[in-house]
Amino acid sequence: MTQTHDNPLEAYVRAALALQGYTFDEAEIAEIVMQFSRLDAIARTVFEWPLPFASEPAPVFRP
Amino acid sequence: MASAADIVLQIAKGTRSAAAVLAECKMLIQARDPDLNCFTAKTFERAEREAAAIDALYAEGKVLPPLAGVPYAVKNLFDVEGLVTLAGAKINAGNAPAAADAKIVARMSRAGAVLVGALNMEELAYGFLTENHHYGITRNPRDRSRGAGGSSGGSAAAVGAGMLPITLGSDTSGSIRVPASLCGVFGLKPTYGRLPRSGTYPFVNSFDHVGPFANSVLGLALAYDAMQGPDPADPACARRAVEPVGVSLSLPRGIRIGILGGWFHEWADPAARRSVQLAAAALGASEWTELKSAEVARAAAYIITGAEGGALHRPRLIQQYEDFGPSSRSRLVAGGLIPASWVIQAQRVRRHAYSEAMALFERFDLLLAAAAPAVAPRVGQETLLINGRSIPTKAGLGVLTQPISCIGLPVCTVPVWPGEGDSPAERALPVGVQLIGAPWREDLCLAAGRTVEQAGIASAP
Repeated sequence: MTQTHDNPLEAYVRAALALQGYTFDEAEIAEIVMQFSRLDAIARTVFEWPLPFASEPAPVFRP
Repeated sequence: MASAADIVLQIAKGTRSAAAVLAECKMLIQARDPDLNCFTAKTFERAEREAAAIDALYAEGKVLPPLAGVPYAVKNLFDVEGLVTLAGAKINAGNAPAAADAKIVARMSRAGAVLVGALNMEELAYGFLTENHHYGITRNPRDRSRGAGGSSGGSAAAVGAGMLPITLGSDTSGSIRVPASLCGVFGLKPTYGRLPRSGTYPFVNSFDHVGPFANSVLGLALAYDAMQGPDPADPACARRAVEPVGVSLSLPRGIRIGILGGWFHEWADPAARRSVQLAAAALGASEWTELKSAEVARAAAYIITGAEGGALHRPRLIQQYEDFGPSSRSRLVAGGLIPASWVIQAQRVRRHAYSEAMALFERFDLLLAAAAPAVAPRVGQETLLINGRSIPTKAGLGVLTQPISCIGLPVCTVPVWPGEGDSPAERALPVGVQLIGAPWREDLCLAAGRTVEQAGIASAP
């Protein structure tokens, strides 16, 4: 495991786990960091896609 | 086993009773299921009651309902009165049995179908295999060294093995279409919101669909018609009247069919490409087109899936982490950490991809693409090699289905037998083709499926 100050993604995962009430050992945290890094890579594809500023999200609430 | 349409006809003519059909079905299940592991529960007592009720109607000369005496089973995320709804998960095993049937199970019963059991699936529907840590591997009926695909693996394999003419499953990212492709059966993922999900165990509310598998297109149509209709208990279920497709499925003259290139061609191996080519020829389709946002739609689906699935299961992930399977628990926790800005952006991308698809449907009535990138992988196979590129099997099997369910389009998947591969065993395996319609055009998807079936290109032997 790298020092968290060298790895913002790992630091984020540790902080978010604590915020959400999870408690894991180091091996489990390492596995979750690996999974989150895959999501981070996929999220980059989503953010790189050019969208008009005013484009709406898909779900629309219809009472 | 005979098709649903043939069973309905036999019972209506009195050449077979519902009890006799059920007896054959039970014999087939008892003979074939131990080798494949499709069933997690059998409901034979209920089935005998339902079959007897159909035979009583016949004896009284009453009009029989549209699925009279047709045996079927459901993925074990559907509520079945008296059974615990497992959704493939140990964490649910201690829950109370369902007090009532899921809405579409009740509608199948009302249509005269005979429920024989509940079927194995990937844990919590999270993944394209059915290598379930708690309830075992469901094997492929076409080659038991291979997997059935998932997450509705038991549903597809039970039809592929000839145990049943119809089963029900769910599809969040490809969980009907991928196992239908791998097991060589027909599958229908209707438009998002067409069929009610009330009484089913959720995974990703934004994408969860339910639908049938069958050994014929008419079987899909009969089940689909029986399950349609609005349902106030499911907020996503459309307030649309029933739009029956009937059994006289035929394509209108002059139908415009586009073959999806780009992402859908790049991620199809030679066998998958050959399946598309055969289906396109049967439909007289030759024009290629592209859904440019396919890759980003898949990425958006990943983010939304992770976030919704992670949030849904967070309380029990905190309390019972060890009771989740090792292949799903860390993915679920990681998904629950996704920032809101990623989810909102993914939902904006989803809207954009939908708009692009709607523009395509101004030029075409139907779109074609493979349903899986390759034939069924071997059990335990970690990666797929597609045109020189490696991709993890568990996620990669959905590479061609996820962009379509992200935007909720209806799809009929038909089993095509391309005869391509590096070995005789691979050349004997199917790859399905997705027949993709504009929203609410299940009628065209099924009619195209019927055309390919009647041409002898698609079959579920």
